[in-house]
Amino acid sequence: MTKFRLFFAVSLVVMLAALLVLPACTKETPAPTAATPAPTPPKTVTLYIGGTFALTGAYAEDTAAVLAGFEDYAKYVNENKKLAPWRTETFPADVKLEVLWRDDELKPEKALTIFDELKAKGMLVYRISGSQTALPLMNPLNDARIGATSMAAGPYLLSPPKTIFTNYPLYTDEMGAIADWYLANWKGTGKPRVAYLTADSASGRSIDIPEMEAYLTKIGYEFVGKQFVPMVPTTPPTTQLSWLKDNKVNLTLGFMINPGSQPTIKEAVRLGMGTNLDYKITFGFAAPSHLAVFAPAMGTLGDGVVVAGSYPPMDQAHANVPGIAFYNQLQAKYRAGKPVTHIMYLAGIVEAMIQTEALRLAALKVPADQLKPVDVLEYGFYQIKNLSTGDMTPPLTFGPSDVEGADVMRVDQDQNGQVVLLGNYPCHGIYKHE
Amino acid sequence: MSLPSGVFQESYGQDMAIFRTKAHWVLLLAFLVLLFAMPLYSSDRILTILTIMGITIISVLGLNILTGYCGQISIGHAGFMAAGAYVSAILTAKLGWSFWAALPCAGLGAGLVGIIFGLPSLKIKGFYLIMATVAAHFIIIWVILQFQNITGGADGLSVPRPEIGGLVLKSKASYFYLVMIITCIAVYLAKNIVRTRAGRAFVAIRDNDLAAEVMGVNLWTYKLTAFFIGCVFAGVSGALLVHYYAYASTDHFPFMNSVWYLGMLIVGGMGSMTGVIFGVVSLKLLDEAVTVFGPMLAAIFPAIAAQAAASLGLILRGLVIILFLIFEPRGLVHRWELVKSYYRRWPFSY
Repeated sequence: MTKFRLFFAVSLVVMLAALLVLPACTKETPAPTAATPAPTPPKTVTLYIGGTFALTGAYAEDTAAVLAGFEDYAKYVNENKKLAPWRTETFPADVKLEVLWRDDELKPEKALTIFDELKAKGMLVYRISGSQTALPLMNPLNDARIGATSMAAGPYLLSPPKTIFTNYPLYTDEMGAIADWYLANWKGTGKPRVAYLTADSASGRSIDIPEMEAYLTKIGYEFVGKQFVPMVPTTPPTTQLSWLKDNKVNLTLGFMINPGSQPTIKEAVRLGMGTNLDYKITFGFAAPSHLAVFAPAMGTLGDGVVVAGSYPPMDQAHANVPGIAFYNQLQAKYRAGKPVTHIMYLAGIVEAMIQTEALRLAALKVPADQLKPVDVLEYGFYQIKNLSTGDMTPPLTFGPSDVEGADVMRVDQDQNGQVVLLGNYPCHGIYKHE
Repeated sequence: MSLPSGVFQESYGQDMAIFRTKAHWVLLLAFLVLLFAMPLYSSDRILTILTIMGITIISVLGLNILTGYCGQISIGHAGFMAAGAYVSAILTAKLGWSFWAALPCAGLGAGLVGIIFGLPSLKIKGFYLIMATVAAHFIIIWVILQFQNITGGADGLSVPRPEIGGLVLKSKASYFYLVMIITCIAVYLAKNIVRTRAGRAFVAIRDNDLAAEVMGVNLWTYKLTAFFIGCVFAGVSGALLVHYYAYASTDHFPFMNSVWYLGMLIVGGMGSMTGVIFGVVSLKLLDEAVTVFGPMLAAIFPAIAAQAAASLGLILRGLVIILFLIFEPRGLVHRWELVKSYYRRWPFSY
C-alpha cells in the first residue's frame, strides 16, 4: 500500500506540474483582419450589442432604464436601418442587431463568467456596469481586444488606456467643471473653501487623488478635507455634514447616486445647510446624481445642488433637442402606455449608439459575418470621431489613447425643482495616467 | 468514514486513514483525472466558474475550521481575504516579489490579522463575536483605503499574473490548474488539521467551551489558533483572487460575500470538508443558473422585462438558506451520507 501511495503521489506531482506549465504558453494578441472591401454577405447576419448589466443592487433602477434604451435602440435600427433621425448614414440592410444581456449583480466574479459566456456567443462589443465589475474586466477585455462601453467613469480606466470607453467625462473632470463654475461666480472674500463629500465606494473615492486636490488648489481653492457617506446611507449623514459646517466649507464635490444624494441633501436642509439656507453651501455631484431624477423627487428641498456631466432632461422644455425628440419617438413607438421616464434610458441609447457605430464602421472594412472583436475595436471604436448623439452628450471621439469620449460637459443646477443649465465646461484631463 | 460490509481494519493507522480501500483510491484518482482534464473539453466560462469555485472553497474551508469546527462565528471573512490579497498584491506589484513567495506571506499576513481580531473571542461569543468580526471587515477595508500610497486606495492596484520559469500563467487553463492544485492541498490540509489534537480541541470548544476548559483545553490558545488557521486559508484565497483578476480592489471583497460564505456552510453542512465543497458548488451553480434564466424570464414576461431578473439571485439564495435551516440543518453532506449508506446496505437498507 505504501509503494502504491508513493507511486500515486509522484505521478500526481509530475502530472500536475506538466499540466500547469503546458497551457501557460500564452495566446498571441489578436490581430485585426486585413481590411477588404465589404462584399454583400449572402444572408442576414446577427450582431450582438449589450453586455453585463447591474440589475440587482444599488444601480438596479438606473440599469433597468439603460437596458430599455438598448432594446429600443436595437428595434429602431432593425426596423429603419438608420442610426438616428439626424444621421444620414445607413446601417447595413442584411445585418440584424440583437441585445444580449445578463445581470451581474455588480459582483466581479459573476462579471467574469458572464463575459466568458457572452464572448463565446460571439459578442464583438461589450459593456460594463460599474466600477466593481470594470476593474476585473479591464484586463480580460484588453487581452481579447474587445471594445466596451461603460456606465462607470473612474480614472482607473485610463491607466493605461485600455478598451473601455465612456460617454461621460471622468468623475474628476466633472468635479473640475463644477469647481470652475463655482469659482467664476464666487463673490465671497478670500479663497472659497472646498471639501469632498462623496460616496464611500471605489467610484466615490476615485476623485480622491492628488491631481484633483492640486487642481483645486491651483485654481484658487482652499482644500479643507474629505467626508465619506455610504453609497446608500442607512442613517442620515449628520456627522459628515456637521463637519462641513464646522470647517466653514463653501463647496462640496463628490460622486453620489440618487439613493445617496437625496437623503444627504434632506439632512443638510434639516441642518440649515444649502445655497438659500442659513449656512450657505453648494453641493456639487458627478453625473450619476442626475438632476432629472433628483429635482422632481426633491422639489424645492434640493435647491442649489449642482451636477456636472449629465444628460439634458427629458421634458417639454427640451423637446427640440434632437436626442430628446428621438427619445420621445422611441417611447411613442415601443413604450406606448408605459414610458420609461428615468434619465438613464438616454444613457442606454447613447451606449447602444456607440456600440452600433463601432460595428457599422468595422463592417465597412470587413464583411459583417467575418468580423472579429479586434476588427470592431480597431476599425470601429478607434475610428469614432465626433459621433453626434443628438445633443444628449457632446460629440464623442475615441481613439487608442482616448477612452474619454466627451471634451466638454453640461453643468446643471436644481433651481426651484427645475433643472437649469448653467453652461458647458471643458474637461481638463485632471487625472494624469501612467 | 463508514465502510462497505466485510471490510475490516486491523491497525490504528488503517482505521485513521482518509482513504481506506483501493476503491477509495481509484475513485479519488478518477475524480482527479476528470477534474484536471476539464480544460480539454470545457469552455472558458466553465473554467472561470470552476476557478472561482476553487478559490471560494479555499476561503470557506478556513471559515469551516473557524466556525464549523471551533464554533467561532465570523462574518468578516471577506475582510480577511482582502488582508491576504493586499499583502500579496503589494509584495508582487510594489516590491517585485515572486507570486510564489508572496502567496505564503499572504496567508501569514491574513493569519496575523485574524489573531488580532480573534482576541475579542476570548471574552465574547455568539452574537457579540459576530459583531466584532463584522467590525473587522470594515476596519480592514478602511485601513486599505487609507494607505493610498501603498495600496492604491480606491483606485486599487494592478497585480502581475503568477509566473513559472518566465512563463506567465495567463491562460484560463493554467490558472485553473494552479487554483485546483492549491485547492486540493488546502482540502488535504484542512481535513488533517481537524484530525489533530488541535482539531479535537476545536470541536470540544464548539460543543461546550466550559467543559473543554475544565478538561484542560486552553481556550486562549485554541481559539486564536482557529482564527489564525481560518484566516490563513482566507488570505491564500484572497491572493489567488486578485492575481486572477490581475487587479486588487476593495470592491472585490464586499461585506455580503462573508454572509454568503456562511450561507454556503449552512447549505453544505458545517463541520465537514465535503460539506464545504457541496455548499460552494451548489450556491455558485445557483448563481450561474439565475444569470442564465434571468433573461429567459424577461423574455417570457416582457412587461416586467429587467425587473424579472432583478434580485432573483438574492431571493433564491436567501430562500435556499432558509429552507436548509428549516428542513436540513445538517446540510447537503447529511443527505450525501444517507445516499451512501443506502447504497452500502442495499438490498438490505431499511
